[in-house]
Amino acid sequence: MAKAERIDQRLMQEGRRTRGVLYFGIGLGLAAGLLIILQAFILAHIINGVSFQGLSLAAVMPLLWALLGLFVLRAALSWAGELVAFRASARIKTYLREQLLKHLLQLGPVAIAGERSADIASTMIEGVEALEPYFSRYLPQMALVSLIPLAILMVVFPEDWISGLILLITGPLVPFFMVLVGYAAEAVNQRQWRKMLLMSAHFLDVVQGLTTLKIFGRAKDEIEIVARISDDYRRSTMAGLRVAFLTSAVLEFFASLSIALVAVSLGARLLQVHASVTFFTAFFVLLLAPEYFNPLRGLSTHYHARMSAIAAAKRIFEILDMPLPEKPQQAVEYSPSTEISLSVRNLHFSYEAGRSALEGVNAEFPAGKVTALVGASGAGKSTLASALLGFVQASEGDILVNGQMPLNAIEPELWWKQLAWVPQNPRLFHGSLGDNIRIGRPDADLTALREAAQNAHALEFIENLPDGFETMIGDLGQGLSGGQIQRIALARAFLKNPPLFILDEATANLDMENESLVLDAMQKLITGRTAIVIAHRLATAERADHIIVMDAGRVAESGSHQELLAAGGVYARMVAAYRGETHV
Amino acid sequence: MSDYIRLLKLFFPYKFWMLGGAFLALLTILSNFGLLALSGWFLASAALAGLGGYATLNLYNFFLPAAGVRAFATTRVISRWLERVITHEATFRLLAQLRSWFYSRLEPLAPAGLQGYRSGDILSRLVADIDTLNNFYLRVFTPFLVAGMATVLMSGFFAFFSWRLAIALFLFLAVSGLVLPFVAERLGARSGAEMTDLQSDYRVQIVDGMQGMGELLTYGAGPEILRRSRAVNDAILQRQAKMAQISGLGTAGMSFMGNLAIWVILILAIPLIHGGHLGPSDLPMFALGVMGSFEAIVALPLAFQFLGQTRQAARRIFSVADSALPFPDASGPAPKVQQPDLLLKDLHLRYPGGQQDALAGLDLHIVAGSKVAILGATGAGKSSIANLLLRFYDYQSGSAQFGGHELKNFPADDLREYFAVVSQRSYLFHTTIRDNLLVAKGDAEEDELWAALAAAQLDDFVRSQPDGLDTIVGEGGVKLSGGQGRRVAIARAILKNAPWLVLDEPTEGLDPLTEMEFLRDLQPLMQGRTVLYITHRLLGLEQMDRVFIMDEGRVVESGTFAELLKQGGQLSHFATFRHGASA
Repeated sequence: MAKAERIDQRLMQEGRRTRGVLYFGIGLGLAAGLLIILQAFILAHIINGVSFQGLSLAAVMPLLWALLGLFVLRAALSWAGELVAFRASARIKTYLREQLLKHLLQLGPVAIAGERSADIASTMIEGVEALEPYFSRYLPQMALVSLIPLAILMVVFPEDWISGLILLITGPLVPFFMVLVGYAAEAVNQRQWRKMLLMSAHFLDVVQGLTTLKIFGRAKDEIEIVARISDDYRRSTMAGLRVAFLTSAVLEFFASLSIALVAVSLGARLLQVHASVTFFTAFFVLLLAPEYFNPLRGLSTHYHARMSAIAAAKRIFEILDMPLPEKPQQAVEYSPSTEISLSVRNLHFSYEAGRSALEGVNAEFPAGKVTALVGASGAGKSTLASALLGFVQASEGDILVNGQMPLNAIEPELWWKQLAWVPQNPRLFHGSLGDNIRIGRPDADLTALREAAQNAHALEFIENLPDGFETMIGDLGQGLSGGQIQRIALARAFLKNPPLFILDEATANLDMENESLVLDAMQKLITGRTAIVIAHRLATAERADHIIVMDAGRVAESGSHQELLAAGGVYARMVAAYRGETHV
Repeated sequence: MSDYIRLLKLFFPYKFWMLGGAFLALLTILSNFGLLALSGWFLASAALAGLGGYATLNLYNFFLPAAGVRAFATTRVISRWLERVITHEATFRLLAQLRSWFYSRLEPLAPAGLQGYRSGDILSRLVADIDTLNNFYLRVFTPFLVAGMATVLMSGFFAFFSWRLAIALFLFLAVSGLVLPFVAERLGARSGAEMTDLQSDYRVQIVDGMQGMGELLTYGAGPEILRRSRAVNDAILQRQAKMAQISGLGTAGMSFMGNLAIWVILILAIPLIHGGHLGPSDLPMFALGVMGSFEAIVALPLAFQFLGQTRQAARRIFSVADSALPFPDASGPAPKVQQPDLLLKDLHLRYPGGQQDALAGLDLHIVAGSKVAILGATGAGKSSIANLLLRFYDYQSGSAQFGGHELKNFPADDLREYFAVVSQRSYLFHTTIRDNLLVAKGDAEEDELWAALAAAQLDDFVRSQPDGLDTIVGEGGVKLSGGQGRRVAIARAILKNAPWLVLDEPTEGLDPLTEMEFLRDLQPLMQGRTVLYITHRLLGLEQMDRVFIMDEGRVVESGTFAELLKQGGQLSHFATFRHGASA
């Protein structure tokens, strides 16, 4: 609960951004509330006039016109209130989305690798959206929940103090008992109720695994399990809900019962020869009694809005609170060069305390040479590549560009202009195939595009598609094969043509035809350049100018293929394992 | 409409729950109406009695209306609580019913009949549709039914006093409950549909941006991501502004109509009272009654929104549920199999909607107890053999005999008992390792599970987990590495203990070192079984009795691995390539 309040505070802080609009909205709500009192007053006059003073329709017509005017005004206020509320939340939503995305981009790909991208997407879309009712309904209602009942009490007391007392006592009892019965418990249970509906996740699991179930002849039994789980869940959730629903019963109890109490007590006093109240007063008070409880009713509805907003905000703030990597001490003037060499000196890095990924790596990546990184998974190859890409900041040690310039002193954007990166599983983005290749050079013309595709062995299959380079990703029915995606990623790199290449060779088992095309294109891309390749295939390592073998976060050995074979170390054993198994 | 009738028929077994909940909802609304109307009447009549002096006072029965007021208040409190309990209980039961029904329709279709629904997206949409349909009772059926009945009953009450008042109330409730929300829904529908599209665009954009962040940043596309996000956000807000205007109009319009109803009823009733046709205490009753009556239609705007959603969901669900069975399953007892060997002759198999045969005149003989590999590139038809054996797809011509009997004569479930399958598609359920193993043998003892895990070389890992066998594997098995997931599949195959072992690209997606270990650990499982090893890799082929190379749905070369290498055909081409120049 304390936590929820902290988030409340932070949300209110965000709300300050649109303070003016929020106050205006509350003002509109308050005005509409006061008009209700006026409306009840006029209505009571009309009815009192007709029923007790024998007035005709013509005699009360002016009052009726005034009443109609009030109705119109109230409708207009209510509409305006809705628009203002929207405006207030729209600004906050825009601001938060922008902040989230900026923050994520600054965090970089490695820091967010642990997050599920679908989860980030729903935080940015639905999560931010869930804040809307908090700002447009819950906050204004919080203000109105005390103001309007107070105004009504101020009107009722001078008219009839007994009714005023009934309302004054019962009103605060509502929130009191709601807390007692479990105001928050209802919200929690509502969430569980939603989760129960979302138990579709389990159902989806079964549906997706249907083929596997069939192989084991279990498909027909599974439905009983689905039914049984649903049933268990229903029982436990309903037990909670039955209690939780008492909160709404409490509200209903006080609202209905106090109306009944007001009515009965007024009726009893009217039934006297010299009645202490008039019918006008009695009816006026009776009209106001339901309105007295209305804001409270609204509060209980919007309490759910608060709970889901807080759940969403928690996730939003979690992302915004992820610490950013330290900025370079002093940005150094870095002029792009056409030849790049890299030296890694005593590099240390750990993803989290106690789980170090690099433990003092020393390595040279000479200009114009292909260097292969080899090692078992978890040896630190990818981490080293991430450090060279500037995605992670080493805790100790340096990476020197061209022997002198520390990498962490170069603006990342400048550094990225100097290199092309092809990851293990390259990603195609929403858009056309052409756009995907042009990603690093949006102004490239068709000739350049075709040349890059040709070099990457991608031209033939692209031009065989009906729409060629204009083919939209996503319209591709079956999609592209792994090998085709690899070749498009290589075409990107060909088109960018930077001085440095960092590649993570695909581990996925491409089929044989594809594999040969991909490897051939890759060789063509990197031969004679400064290139760092995380090699998963023996053939790739063999062809490199230099091999660095990594083991447990360190460089175990390095040298050429022949040298390493002769040395009989880790590399030689790996090669033997490969060859031995296949007897080729 | 017919979709709704069908839906209601599905819900029929729970009609008492459904109607019980609706009845309580009606009672809640009517008691509020009664409470307000009676209070108004009671105050006025009491005041009149007071004004009339002692004579009228003594005639006035105070207790009956006062008791009535209290009774309405109490009824409302109790029925509101019961209503919520019962309607939610009903919703759960209906959901379970819908899921069972849908599953029983889906089950015979898989996998051939669901080919178009393969991707997770479409399946999860269907499952979400089920949840949407579930709103039908709570958010559509009950509000409409209750609003209709309450409107009739409340207008009927007014008709005791005047037909004109009754008609006016009825019309106001009908217009505010049906016309206003309908118009608002129509006006907002386009923005709503655009919103959905925009949001899904946005989702794609963000997922692209997150999963491809490294590439996007290194290619200098960071500012472009921000710019695009801003553009979509603006577009979404623009639609939302429009929707806020419309919904604001709807809300304001609804409360205005409620007020206008009071106004019109006053205009109509005042002359009646002034003329003495109705008593003076009826006027406050009408005014307060109208106020209370509008509670009946409050839920209808939301009901209209859900009406649109449920219609689309129902259409999609029913269209899948009504799909024709891809092919009929054999009935009657399964043929007896002595020797489980497989003989395919001139076999043709084409997938529904396919352009060409996946198996095009395939001849293949696999002797019981032998170990056979099928090698070929993607699309050569290798996996179609597994689909054929498991009776996932039917064949069009030629003959396929298993143990001397045509495959078509086996009921599919009986046929599948002969095969244990390990493939990259072996699905891991989001539950415990234990439950994932029990899929293969429901009544397996704890010892058997451990033995299977040991044979699959996974026992040490499971033992090292704090929860042991009860370790949750995560969605799609994400908490296990690729190799561990595949080992669960082996353990399942061991538990199933079938005479045939089908390995359908079992190492797909594993890195080369893991792949080697995995194939090595498969060896014990192959002993004493007929093995069909489908692969596009060369690893492990030398242990096979016979290798068939497939191309375009046919066997093009066959022999032992050594023979094929010597022949210098396709296989040797693959071999030199794979291991580089120095191999």
